[in-house]
Amino acid sequence: MSYHEFDCSKCIPERVKHAVDKNPGEELSDALPLGYLNTIPGSLSERGCAYCGAKHVIGTPMKDVIHISHGPIGCTYDTWQTKRYISDNDNFQLKYTFATDMKEKNIIFGAEKILKANIIEAFKAFPKIKRMTIYQTCASALIGDDIEAVAQDVMDEMPDVDIFVCNSPGFAGPSQSGGHHKINIAWVNKKVGQVEPKITSDHVINYVGEYNIQGDQEVMVDYFKRMGLQVLSTFTGNGSYDELRSMHRADLNVLECARSAEYICNELRKRYGIPRMDIDGCGFEPLSSSLRKIGLFFGIEDRANAIIEAETKRWKPELDWYKERLQGKKVCLWPGGSKLWHWAHAIHAEMGLEVVSVYTKFGHQGDMEKGISRCEVGALAIDDPNELESVEAMYKLKPDLIITGKRPGEVAKKIRVPYLNAHAYHNGPYKGYEGWVRFARDIYNAVYSPIHQLAFVDISKDEIATDQSFVTRQMLSDGKLSADVVNSTVLHEYTGEFDSLKRLRNAKYPEFPLQGKLAAV
Amino acid sequence: MEKTIKDGVESLMDYIMKNCLWQFNSRTWDRVEQNKNILEKATQIMCAEEVSKDTPSERYYWAEAQQMVESFLETFPWIKTMNATEIKEMMAGLKKRLDYQTITGSLNKELDDPNY
Amino acid sequence: MPCELKEKERTGVINPIFTCQPAGAQYASIGIKDCIAIVHGGQGCVMFVRLWFSQHYKESFELASSSLHEDGAIFGATNRVEEAVDVLLMRYPDVKVVPIISTCSTEVIGDDIDGVVRKLNEGLLKEKYAGREVHLISIHTPSFKGSHVTGYNVAVEAILKHFAKKGESNGKLNILTGWQNPGDVRTLKHLLSEMQVDATMIFDIEEFDAPLMPEGNHVAHGSTTIADLESTGSAIGTLALNRYEVGKGAQYLETEFGVPAVIGPTPIGIRNTDTFLQKVKEITGKPIPASLVKERGIALDAITDVAHMFLADKRVAIYGNPDLVIGLAEFCLDLEMKPVLLLLGDDTTTYPDDPRIKALQEKVSYKMEIIMNADLWELGNRLQNEGLKLDLILGHSKGRFIAMDSHIPLVRVGFPVFDRAGLYRQPTVGYEGAMLLAERMANVWFADMEYTQNKEWLLNMW
Repeated sequence: MSYHEFDCSKCIPERVKHAVDKNPGEELSDALPLGYLNTIPGSLSERGCAYCGAKHVIGTPMKDVIHISHGPIGCTYDTWQTKRYISDNDNFQLKYTFATDMKEKNIIFGAEKILKANIIEAFKAFPKIKRMTIYQTCASALIGDDIEAVAQDVMDEMPDVDIFVCNSPGFAGPSQSGGHHKINIAWVNKKVGQVEPKITSDHVINYVGEYNIQGDQEVMVDYFKRMGLQVLSTFTGNGSYDELRSMHRADLNVLECARSAEYICNELRKRYGIPRMDIDGCGFEPLSSSLRKIGLFFGIEDRANAIIEAETKRWKPELDWYKERLQGKKVCLWPGGSKLWHWAHAIHAEMGLEVVSVYTKFGHQGDMEKGISRCEVGALAIDDPNELESVEAMYKLKPDLIITGKRPGEVAKKIRVPYLNAHAYHNGPYKGYEGWVRFARDIYNAVYSPIHQLAFVDISKDEIATDQSFVTRQMLSDGKLSADVVNSTVLHEYTGEFDSLKRLRNAKYPEFPLQGKLAAV
Repeated sequence: MEKTIKDGVESLMDYIMKNCLWQFNSRTWDRVEQNKNILEKATQIMCAEEVSKDTPSERYYWAEAQQMVESFLETFPWIKTMNATEIKEMMAGLKKRLDYQTITGSLNKELDDPNY
Repeated sequence: MPCELKEKERTGVINPIFTCQPAGAQYASIGIKDCIAIVHGGQGCVMFVRLWFSQHYKESFELASSSLHEDGAIFGATNRVEEAVDVLLMRYPDVKVVPIISTCSTEVIGDDIDGVVRKLNEGLLKEKYAGREVHLISIHTPSFKGSHVTGYNVAVEAILKHFAKKGESNGKLNILTGWQNPGDVRTLKHLLSEMQVDATMIFDIEEFDAPLMPEGNHVAHGSTTIADLESTGSAIGTLALNRYEVGKGAQYLETEFGVPAVIGPTPIGIRNTDTFLQKVKEITGKPIPASLVKERGIALDAITDVAHMFLADKRVAIYGNPDLVIGLAEFCLDLEMKPVLLLLGDDTTTYPDDPRIKALQEKVSYKMEIIMNADLWELGNRLQNEGLKLDLILGHSKGRFIAMDSHIPLVRVGFPVFDRAGLYRQPTVGYEGAMLLAERMANVWFADMEYTQNKEWLLNMW
């Protein structure tokens, strides 16, 4: 592995150690990009801030909570309707956002009074909601408002409400990741252990580091329920405040996004002895291994095997239909923090894609260790990428697809590279067996778009083909396939619904009566 | 299928780095524990020895190890032709490789941060 | 008087209509060619605003951050501005204009961005970038004052202050467009060209609707040049279309260079477009041509088809930038509609002095509420808890859940509109804008009639 120097970054030589080419015969110990360092000003980095990491990524997916930011209006506005963390509580957390709207006089004289007024107003406007999270911003941090004290005042006056305060202003760290850390530690310090849950199963887990983007959490919880697990809480997708206060009673913490939530898992392990099990919910093999591991831990691996068998049987023929057609297509896997390693090997092994580059906007060196291990030789790995480097990489690598954020996706579009949204997905959810097929389907639709092909024609210079009035995706994808594959009666396209989540929300689950330690209670 | 111990180590190493996450916890002390316990239990399973899984953390290590060994046996049928001594030698070699890549030779500067 | 102007009574904001000043300054900066602004503050202040723009336009715009981190917040971070300017200029050789935009954090810690600009002009630019044209412009836009509307106003003024020069009168008319879409700019250019008026569009954002070309990298960017900006001081007049968004800039040009400033009206609707053309005629002496009579006639014909039959008496709530809201309310009244609730989203204190608002207070004869410092809960609460009845809502996409949950059709207008395709390409100004607005309001109402089975058979014979 050698460090990769971008032409556009020759003038900022400190960037060299942030990108690595995975060369044959080299290993992680030979070269690893630096990570989680201060951003170079003026570089047009992709990074966001620590308030975002705390409030938008982790805090606001909690569905039965009033999320209020203490500061001027922009932070709140920016983090409202800019992510797809849905919930089964009528999306209260997507529809409503709250801000104390600090003004100049508050900067000078302090804003604790308006904060208190705001808290009371918010509870009054939504009397059914009794829980609140207050997020500090740059402004309220700098003027030193004691948000905890104000929150405590209100809790004393209104004993049926509970308030969590998160102090993670935008400048607190090089990127969003600083915010993840702050809210993890604050939650475990201040709230875990306050509620004693009702235990309904012998096998109790917390599902950690999962934010229910387009329903991912609900897909996974469906498998867990079919296995008879009690999901005590999800941190924090489709999550409930009080359930999260009872995290200490789980037998196992199942961790998806280690980047954003390993901190709370490690604290729970240290303080309550709850083991941390890292899983991958993405890809048939990784998901099957994950369900099996959880099953083994609880001695119910037969239940896991039943699900794995049924789901694989149902969805593999559809996944393989896309795999045949995506073989060799080149992908830049450019997400925020952990999807580079959740997806790099799985999309290669199970969809035939060649991952020519991975990057991480706000990840740490550990994310790069995982990501580089899981991609193939020849890949380019970039830490804290900026716009010029991304464009240079795309021109050099000539990918068939970019999987990245919405705005960088627009940059890719301009140089004729189709994009899929890595953070919020196109037509997700992408977790689970069916979800993985949906992902493959979206990739197929992006790569073989006839419109995309038309974008390469220069009508002022090129020969214009006048013999075709339309082209289908299959005309583009099936040219090099064998007759067997094209005519297969086993493989077929995705047959699921536009909304694959609907039937899960009405699903019924088998009963698994308590047998173990609490059965006699 | 004949396989040298060294080749065997490489195959298993490659599998772990592509598919497993347990070796990448974020602190040196954590990686030391993970590597030691999971590989120890995996060795015991592969040699058909008793595995202790009484405490929650032991049960966790065992679950990781058991799932991994099941995958090993499916992916690398030549393991079944090895005897206990060969397996132990191979797993010791694997631990050495893994410890080096993830701990002693790792360029990850966060590993020695005392806090999580 | 049934039309009341009042302030929101609550202290805080539930579901904001507006965002903060730095976003406004950033929107001004992207209208300039070869310009990349540096936002001095946390990374979120830039990352989220770039996302906001890309939601509306489905395009990416170039903006940089000074990346304020913890040490900067404690010890001051002007050195990061210096580094940012250097890094930006090295890597983007075509950049000529670099606004330095402050945010709440850097204003609170007291970073002297004016001082930094002076220091860089004397130092770095003379030493390392000698011979290269670079304009550093400090723009003070803390987020705890005003909103993106005032931020835009402050930025336009600062930019004009930096560039406008006195020269020979150039016979041109300055058009300070305010917060518009490419469709609006195209329409304004069309109207002015029909009148054979030479106009300088500040800012010319037609190119925001950037194409997908077979080769090259065609990022969206503004087309207003330094020469355009310099020429504003020698113009024969300035028409500032939106008082709250570009009033300051126009005032400056008048005070400093004697370029007469005409503030408003926002040319939304037939009547305001007529007034706009009249003002152009007064300043330039150019006549209004027959072609525009015909264009106006086409619009009137189309509007007549929908006004008294369908739009009359429709109760509507309007929220968004204040000039847009007022302009839409005025047009709706001409269409016989009933704007019953207008939401103006920031704490500007001069709304009560606005003659347009006074006119509404004096002449509207049914119950209308105009709420200052409003948020969208003022709308949501009235709908959910106070029995407000509406037929249509006019506003931007952030109000979509309120509209959906109350089953009231939302006609998307303003900024941002991210849940409908291509609306930035349609004007809301001019005769074409008036026609398209009226038709869209009617069409949205028609679709709702069908899905709620509300006399949907009426359209069989229209």
